[in-house]
Amino acid sequence: MFQALNEAFIYELKSIRRSWYKLILITLLPLLGFTLIISIFKSGVAYEMPIAVVDNDKTELSRMVLNHIQANATMKISYTLNSTKEALNLVKSSKVYAVVVIPRHFSRDTLLQKQPHITAMINTQYILIGKILTSALSSTLMQSSAQIEYVKNLVDLQNPHASINSISPIGIQITPFFNTFKNYFYFLVSALLPAMWQIFIVITTLVSIGVIFKNKHERLCFKNARYVPMKLIGLLLPYTIAFTLIGILHILYMYSMWEFQGSFSVMVFGIFLTVVAYQGIALLFFATGFDYARSLSLGAVYTAPAFAFLGVTFPVYNMNNFALFWRDMLPISHYMQLQISQANYGADIFFDADKLLVLFSFWVVFIPVFMLFYKRLKKEMH
Amino acid sequence: MNFRDTFKNEVKLIFSDAAIILTIIAGVILYSFLYPQPYANQSVSELSISVVDYDKSDVSRDIVFKLNATPQIQVTQNNMSEQDAKDALIKDEIKAIIIIPKHFKKDLALNKSPTIAVGADSSYFLIYGGVLEAAMKSILTQSATIKVANLLKKQVPLNTAKEAYTPYSLNIINLFNKDNSYTQYVVPAVFILILQQTLLIGLGILGGGINERMRRKEDEYFQTAPFWYMVLSRILIFGSIFFIHILFYFGFSFELFEVTRLANITDLLTFAVAFLLAAISFGIFLGTLFNSREIATPAVLFSSLPLIFSVGFIWPLESIPNSIHYLSLLVPSTPAIHGFLGLNQMGASFDMIIENYTILWVQTLVYLSLSTLIFIKRRRTFYANQQELQKG
Repeated sequence: MFQALNEAFIYELKSIRRSWYKLILITLLPLLGFTLIISIFKSGVAYEMPIAVVDNDKTELSRMVLNHIQANATMKISYTLNSTKEALNLVKSSKVYAVVVIPRHFSRDTLLQKQPHITAMINTQYILIGKILTSALSSTLMQSSAQIEYVKNLVDLQNPHASINSISPIGIQITPFFNTFKNYFYFLVSALLPAMWQIFIVITTLVSIGVIFKNKHERLCFKNARYVPMKLIGLLLPYTIAFTLIGILHILYMYSMWEFQGSFSVMVFGIFLTVVAYQGIALLFFATGFDYARSLSLGAVYTAPAFAFLGVTFPVYNMNNFALFWRDMLPISHYMQLQISQANYGADIFFDADKLLVLFSFWVVFIPVFMLFYKRLKKEMH
Repeated sequence: MNFRDTFKNEVKLIFSDAAIILTIIAGVILYSFLYPQPYANQSVSELSISVVDYDKSDVSRDIVFKLNATPQIQVTQNNMSEQDAKDALIKDEIKAIIIIPKHFKKDLALNKSPTIAVGADSSYFLIYGGVLEAAMKSILTQSATIKVANLLKKQVPLNTAKEAYTPYSLNIINLFNKDNSYTQYVVPAVFILILQQTLLIGLGILGGGINERMRRKEDEYFQTAPFWYMVLSRILIFGSIFFIHILFYFGFSFELFEVTRLANITDLLTFAVAFLLAAISFGIFLGTLFNSREIATPAVLFSSLPLIFSVGFIWPLESIPNSIHYLSLLVPSTPAIHGFLGLNQMGASFDMIIENYTILWVQTLVYLSLSTLIFIKRRRTFYANQQELQKG
């Protein structure tokens, strides 16, 4: 029985050695995909986003405000214009992300304590960019306004400490838990790489089994319809090893930069469970019709939208029931929960036992897979 | 072989291929319903948080009330100890903890600027951002109230105090997608990518399949048909199918998911035609390169995530390496997403997105020329021996 497994394992290893396509599927392509994603977000923070300013006041005070904005690394004043309409057209044609308008009589109204409003019009079609700019502009304006208030308070109170406290009667201290860097690289990349990883697992599994059937090598590989499960396991094994290693590599890479709070062995176990779960699902897609190209289409429909369902960008709490159901049907969302719980929270194995159990429960797909393959092969061998 | 026969053969080949039909018809329709599902509730709201109130004064209760009034958060626990709150956070029952210190009210009165601590789970950035936005807003409002009250104590008239508590302020206007809806953000861009990718897979399977059969020297229409007849057939077949898809996506789906439609129909369709031609040309080009039917799906699938994130609508172009940005301009989806978002989501006029329109036409010309060169060369190689045999 184990000889069957061994034979199939050797068969597939040899075929990988012969086929450059299979070889790059488990080496070059995943690494290239990972590298692209990593390079896109490499900077981690958004900087020098172009904005336009319209200064209707043109006084020393308005120039001071603009200097404060210019000094903020998040944005860059790319256009200084005289008309708001012109500036808005620049937003519409995506030349700038925001327009800051300083009103007429800004300086005078400030002196008269009439609290003039500086207007910032922000392109919130791009939510993340909009949020980053909103907070950068708010904090810059708050700082520059506080400076003026401080001077005024100092005159009134004659006490520097009291002057500061009067500006903001309540202090705010913000602590980000778990991802102390508040870095977008970490937010996005730590979820995007697993999302790519599951695509590669499913596609590679389909390629390995699909090529056998397409080239009519079933007889060569399965010989007879005996020990079908063992032979399938043997065929999958090289890829199980490859993708478990790639999964580990991803963890090692990410957490060479950030602290990994949890247990590395629990994580590796979770990676292994996920790889096998996806291999089983891929085989099920194939067994629905034993048609190579069609099973790839099914694999694409299943794996491509997974990132959106992970809940890393849009929170799970606000998803509707169908989205939650579909999310539960994707092993990668359970894997992602495990990764966040292990890496960020440092949860112990008992806490995460449920996640591991769910990942393991996907293995149940192997029952129909073995049955369908057995039926098909038995029919073909006769 | 004349055009009519080429066209008929192409139609037969495409519609008898389950993998192609599954992708370009069933896939496109399925995706249009599946993709927007996670965002159906549109925005982040009512995140559970816990307030640890050591002060228990009317001022601290007022702050809790203000926090509860924001749409983003809901205070579900305000009698927990700090330790219990931390445990609840790890168990994912709450997303943030806000701590109001002891003697808060007293310190306020003494102008000692007591500090409120806000701790939030930053594993999920929309959650983190939402909690922070709501907390900042409530606390700053409370601060302003206190400052006004302090001015009133100094006999400043109320009307003046309401303005004078700060020198100037910032008024933020959200230009498009005013409610920060996630559907509005993701769906219009991702739909373009879905249309392109399914189109590329369909044409890739077709082209790869023909290459496979030419290698086997099959005696079929593609052995003799002029390549331009094949190109024209594909533009007609895929063009009309995807033109209907575009009407379905921009009409029916956008309506269903309440996505803004600002573009006028002429501009939108003019741009859509350029997009379809560019995508079809790119698909034909990829098809001439693929050696088998089964390369297209993996190749296109692997490119999806890097492509959507290099467009620049999620992560700003200014922070993406130039080399990746230029590389992404080789693919129609990049200029197409910029153009469609401009026209339909931001109400740009056609001349504001003319650059993207031009890029699509350049892509069409370049990819069609390249395809012609490659296809003719490959066909000659594939059938080379046969021709010699025939001659001999």
